[in-house]
Amino acid sequence: MVCYNMYIFNRDGVCLHYQEWSRPKHVKDGAGTLVDDAKMMFGLLFSLKNVCTAIDPTREVKRPLGAPTPHGEGCSFRSFTTDCYKLHYLDSPSGIKIVLNTSTDLGNLEKHMWQIYSNLYCEYVVKNPLYTVGEPFECEQFVQNLNKLIKSLG
Amino acid sequence: MSQRGSVLPSLVDRHILTSKTRNDVGVGAFAFLFSEIVQYSQTRVSNVSELERKLADVGFDVGVRMLELLVHREKAGKRENRILGILSFLHTNVWKNLFGKTADSLEKGTSADDEYMISDHDLLVNRYISVPRDMGHLNCGAFAAGIVEGVLKSAGFPARVTAHSVASEGLSRPKTTILIKFAPEVIERDEKLGS
Amino acid sequence: MSSKGKVASSVAGERINSELFTLTYGALVRHLLLDLESPEEVNKQLDRMGQNIGVRLVDDFLAKTNTTRCRNFKEAVKTIADTGFKMFLGIDAKVTQIGDKECKMVLNDNPLIDFVELPEKLEPLSYCNLLCGVIRGALEQVSMKVEVLISKDPLKGDERFELHMKLLEYINEEYPFADD
Repeated sequence: MVCYNMYIFNRDGVCLHYQEWSRPKHVKDGAGTLVDDAKMMFGLLFSLKNVCTAIDPTREVKRPLGAPTPHGEGCSFRSFTTDCYKLHYLDSPSGIKIVLNTSTDLGNLEKHMWQIYSNLYCEYVVKNPLYTVGEPFECEQFVQNLNKLIKSLG
Repeated sequence: MSQRGSVLPSLVDRHILTSKTRNDVGVGAFAFLFSEIVQYSQTRVSNVSELERKLADVGFDVGVRMLELLVHREKAGKRENRILGILSFLHTNVWKNLFGKTADSLEKGTSADDEYMISDHDLLVNRYISVPRDMGHLNCGAFAAGIVEGVLKSAGFPARVTAHSVASEGLSRPKTTILIKFAPEVIERDEKLGS
Repeated sequence: MSSKGKVASSVAGERINSELFTLTYGALVRHLLLDLESPEEVNKQLDRMGQNIGVRLVDDFLAKTNTTRCRNFKEAVKTIADTGFKMFLGIDAKVTQIGDKECKMVLNDNPLIDFVELPEKLEPLSYCNLLCGVIRGALEQVSMKVEVLISKDPLKGDERFELHMKLLEYINEEYPFADD
């Protein structure tokens, strides 16, 4: 099993944090730059969620199909698997979006994604007095504990 | 502060006299309040040592009032007059009341006779912190140092108090050491009082 | 709000003595009065700082209570009263009037104002203005733009502390980048 990389976005599309453990295919051969790469990722999450919501067969929605939805509403997906990798996703009601790309052999990581949000992001980023909300961060305690958690997956 | 013509009993009296920990707040409430104090302070200063000074000033205020409350309540108005007495009061009573536990150690400085150290392995104000590289040696424990300085000053033990991060064996994170350097007159007075 | 697990009816997380919090808040207000000079400016600053706190605090709240979805103003208000105040300030709050877009909430106690009496020259100071900002900031993060005012204040002679909240609008999720 391999963890490739992780993105954390806020609702405004700012990539608050990017972490890479293994990325055989270089960014240069994809989006080009890390900034464009993050933007593309955010666009994927945003559109996919909208499509998921639009084709949701379960809930009666009062607004027309495709109309903007309030944050926290709509259908959030938790993961998808391609032939080459698996994308795990957590979208908090406050609009924090955590993406973890792994190899396809990893099972359900919902619990771990929630741990990253609640035990790591909330403790070591949100409560860090030197973190300015909405800005990218490189919090040492967050990274250390994240690496520990990622290691424990394998 | 002046009395207002209110029919309520004075809030101040009401709360000093009731027993402590009448209610507890979530650790998050303090963490977020402290974060915002740090964020605000950063907009009023131009470098790291000014930021530490500003945090210490806010802490100083807390220390002065904490002493008033504790002396009122725990010591029935009796005040400490010896260095060791006030230090152990800080290490035990003050720490317990502020952070829910006693400090981890109280030591005498090895190099100077007028220096003492109170250490805490997991000081609340440093618990969630990661200091960005461009802020170098910033220690938000300055706030706790300010509290200690405030307690000491209003108890009649003026001192210079600073906070330091000290890496120690067996601990994953550095501990916070509050270094207290007493003013010469405090040392003299204590020597006169004998042992 | 719906939850993954059990919503913490008891209080989640570590607790500390309210005095550290109360005295620290008092010290902050005193420093703001020194820095900014006018009580009106301090009110504004407290509100801003509260808003920033709310933006942070909401994530902690969602995480600790396992909340994965927030539906509407009424539910949010109830959650704040039943769980939020207890979790952060250790106090009970009661919603006294509620509609789809407006409500009043009474706090049975308020640790912010322990030991506090306002001198007359600080009459314009809204000592607890931070709270309004916190609620506004937190709700804005979960898509609700609200207005929060202190409608009753023991520091101004009222018996209880009361907040008046009004829903202005729900915020929609929008794509933040211009299409290339």
